[in-house]
Amino acid sequence: MPVERAAIRKSLERLTGATGSRLDGLTARVFVDFAMCFSDLLSTNREPSARLASYVAGTDGVERLDGLTGGLISLTAHVGNWELAGRLLAGRSARPTHVVVAPEEARELERWVRRDGEGVRFVTRSRPTVSLELVAALRRGEVVAVQGDRALGTRGDTMISFFGRPAPFPLGPFLLASAVGVPLVPAFCVLTADYRYRVKVAGPIAVRRGDEEDAARAWGALLEDVVREHPTQWFNFFDIWDPSNG
Amino acid sequence: METEKVLEELKDIMVERLKFDPSRTSELTLATVLPKGMEGSLGLDSLDFIEMSIAIEERFGFVIDETQNVETHFETLGTLVAYIALHATGG
Repeated sequence: MPVERAAIRKSLERLTGATGSRLDGLTARVFVDFAMCFSDLLSTNREPSARLASYVAGTDGVERLDGLTGGLISLTAHVGNWELAGRLLAGRSARPTHVVVAPEEARELERWVRRDGEGVRFVTRSRPTVSLELVAALRRGEVVAVQGDRALGTRGDTMISFFGRPAPFPLGPFLLASAVGVPLVPAFCVLTADYRYRVKVAGPIAVRRGDEEDAARAWGALLEDVVREHPTQWFNFFDIWDPSNG
Repeated sequence: METEKVLEELKDIMVERLKFDPSRTSELTLATVLPKGMEGSLGLDSLDFIEMSIAIEERFGFVIDETQNVETHFETLGTLVAYIALHATGG
């Protein structure tokens, strides 16, 4: 995967400032961490949610969810095992969770990585009117889980500073939150040194009409902190500052 | 509410909320398909549908019941106008 390796190396150089053999080591580590998270994804998808807790070494801020009533948007990124976080949090909230996903590039993978059940339902972004379903779910007090770190390449992207350079980020989650009047709750699930996971839930981001880009910038700053702490667990195998580049 | 009035209000929403060039709205008919990805459609994307659904509620004074299958009402301008005309409280 020379193209992906080159993209990861370039990103890590910017994220960490590493060069030479240290950069080589970090680059290799991304693929190791990804393999670990992906294999865990395949196995955790087949286990009941009650057993997922055995994968978790600890949590930070999960209790924040207990005080939230009504609909909310769980905002995450391609960091660590984000799908495990979704299943764990869905089990905890006891509210249906609609996970918004891009149509899987490798369709034969779908049945392995996307399994509905136990309060989790995958919603493929295959048609524009799917957003009406999400509005309805939030109004019913349910959870919509979305990824907030991959631009769509449409007018729905906004440029925000990320590690000192403008990068396109999707504005959709913030527009959805402000339109329905629900908070965004950032959540991550990172691999620990003993190959278990730590679930981190940050404070809710409230979005008022017209302030969506400010909210996106707040999200970008938070994501920077997480990626700075876990640079080899950010799984974007392309140039996120210029997605059209390769 | 009359079909023609609803159609004109929808055109206003497209200009004011979806930032359409006003000249585009003159070409719209009840047969115009709304979602992008379909031949001859207006090309509305997922963000447009969020914005439009909220604007319709504000403008026409009713709450869209998304527990019903509302996607069919957002297929063309004609289906949307009919849906709004049935539920609108004003005018």
